[in-house]
Amino acid sequence: MRHRKYPFIVGFLFVPVVLYTVLMVWPYIQTFGYSLTDWSGESQTMHFVGLKNYTTLFGDTVFREALLHNVLLLVFLPVITILLALFFAFMLNVGGRGTTGGVQGVRGSGFYRVVFFFPQVLSVAILAVLFEAVYRSDSGGLLNGILVKIGLENPQNPIEWLNDPGTVLWCLLAIVVWQGVGFYLVLFSAAMQSIPREVFEAALLDGAGRGQTFFRVTMPLLWDSVQTAWVYLAIAAMDFFALVSTLTPGTAYGGGPDYHSEVLSTYLMRNFLFYGKSGYACAMGVVILLITLVVSVFALRVTRRERIEF
Amino acid sequence: MATVTFDKATRVYPGSDRPAVDQLEIDIADGEFLVLVGPSGCGKSTSLRMLAGLEDVNDGAIRIGDRDVTHLPPKDRDIAMVFQNYALYPHMTVADNMGFALKIAGVNKAEIRTRVEEAAKILDLTEFLGRKPKALSGGQRQRVAMGRAIVREPQVFLMDEPLSNLDAKLRVQTRTQIAGLQRRLGTTTVYVTHDQVEAMTMGDRVAVLKDGLLQQVDSPRNMYDRPANLFVAGFIGSPAMNLVEVPVTDGGVKFGNSIVPVNREAVAAAVEKGDRTVTVGVRPEHFDIADGEAKSLSKDEPAGIAVTVNVVEELGADGYVYGTAEVSGEQKDIVVRVGGRSVPLKGDVLHVVPRAGETHVFSTSTGERLSD
Repeated sequence: MRHRKYPFIVGFLFVPVVLYTVLMVWPYIQTFGYSLTDWSGESQTMHFVGLKNYTTLFGDTVFREALLHNVLLLVFLPVITILLALFFAFMLNVGGRGTTGGVQGVRGSGFYRVVFFFPQVLSVAILAVLFEAVYRSDSGGLLNGILVKIGLENPQNPIEWLNDPGTVLWCLLAIVVWQGVGFYLVLFSAAMQSIPREVFEAALLDGAGRGQTFFRVTMPLLWDSVQTAWVYLAIAAMDFFALVSTLTPGTAYGGGPDYHSEVLSTYLMRNFLFYGKSGYACAMGVVILLITLVVSVFALRVTRRERIEF
Repeated sequence: MATVTFDKATRVYPGSDRPAVDQLEIDIADGEFLVLVGPSGCGKSTSLRMLAGLEDVNDGAIRIGDRDVTHLPPKDRDIAMVFQNYALYPHMTVADNMGFALKIAGVNKAEIRTRVEEAAKILDLTEFLGRKPKALSGGQRQRVAMGRAIVREPQVFLMDEPLSNLDAKLRVQTRTQIAGLQRRLGTTTVYVTHDQVEAMTMGDRVAVLKDGLLQQVDSPRNMYDRPANLFVAGFIGSPAMNLVEVPVTDGGVKFGNSIVPVNREAVAAAVEKGDRTVTVGVRPEHFDIADGEAKSLSKDEPAGIAVTVNVVEELGADGYVYGTAEVSGEQKDIVVRVGGRSVPLKGDVLHVVPRAGETHVFSTSTGERLSD
């Protein structure tokens, strides 16, 4: 019966494989093809220019700045989000500790769990509207309003959060962290609940305090989930298109002031649709793909550990 | 080393009116091996967890030595616990698992190493010190959990059904190992189990709990020979004691065709309370097969009661006969132990007489023991 099995399996695989190839793989190959031309995006006339787009790309200071911003986000977004989410998940599940009574979450943890998840259900468009109000550059903004009220800021000269080259990128980062923590909190909570309670109780009896339990027991046992979260967040850090293009100043897809919040995706889109340098943009797309790929593989490799069984 | 005292310790779970552990009072001597036993839901694990500090104590006190630990956090109680599922840290090696508590306590590395190696030697774990728990068998994991407790040299060991995840043969083997180890270390131990065989074989003393109430604390021998009430009588011993309700007669208790001697005052007291019957208990091995010579009440019938054999369990050394008998007009299930070489067949009728001095009489209404 063995030889009859393969036609059967292939029969089932054929349609999805064809669909995947046509809709997923082919566009990648096509993009790479376009990246070797001077295609303007509006006509079908183009000339083969070899690797010229790539050499131009590495001399492009704006591209390098955008890349630097993405790398910064790549470092800070996962680290901040994961640490916060882990901390909150720990507090909600096992962090609460009176004198006796075993392992439990802090008081009101059920309530916090729901509240933390709220930002996750907001769409990016709503986030943009919301944070436009938060970061408003006069005392009508939430942040500036509070700072003025408590006297930390001169109302005549408020901080222009999204127009200040020094703050704009970090303001955007804060939005994504704010939105993402709830989701990863739920992810880590679920993982934490699959750890037998007795393990935490054993740690408690062994004399481990909250900090020691967190770093020596909880963290290592959640490593699988942390790894997954890291890959998701790294991919999110390579994006940032929607927030940058809606919230920051600058012609076509934001990125200002003076490219200080420019990221690869916005620069790509501007080249592709606004400057009409579509071939150049495709080369950029290929580079972004490679970087994302390397980051993902790196994250999975470096963090690989033995599987933990309970 | 230390004594452990439960002083009217009570635990009421939130949202429940009935205490899970109700006014528990046990004094455990220094170096004693006390087994808490009872059916599931009787509060034995809760009692242990109260002692461990993993469960709040709502009323009363718990003392270890002279220290009142009722509201102390677990880490300040100087206890070590072995969990049913072992609760080993899956990401640490055996050595790290065993040394974790010492590491937290800031003991220097060299000493941790010697103490872990010592414990590993006792438990035959030396060659597994570098392994992770997942690469160990159930029995080995159990020993690591034991090792983790030993290494700390605590004042009290707490064990929560540590053998119930092992297979039958290993359980018997480990049972003796744990008991032997405890005798050697001389550490006060509180051991929770639902298995009355474990309780009888391991403990210096056994405490039987039911519905959060302590039924009896005694040595295994006394527990078996003089159960304090009906529940203990039925719970301790396997197969269980035969408990038959019989009417009170003048001068004693009539059981089948023979008279069971009972303290007159006790019976009188029971009758005064309105009881017309008492419950007689006879262990399966305390039935003698009547061969016609035993004293009988009526000359026409053979002595004792007639048991019709339903099932025979042959265990090799001996056999258990599960049968029914008519006692005071009702059909009762009776279990009788017979010699391994003379097992009756299904359908046979055996005449059995309870051995003198080996019967137990309990009040039917209160369950209290009436005979001496």
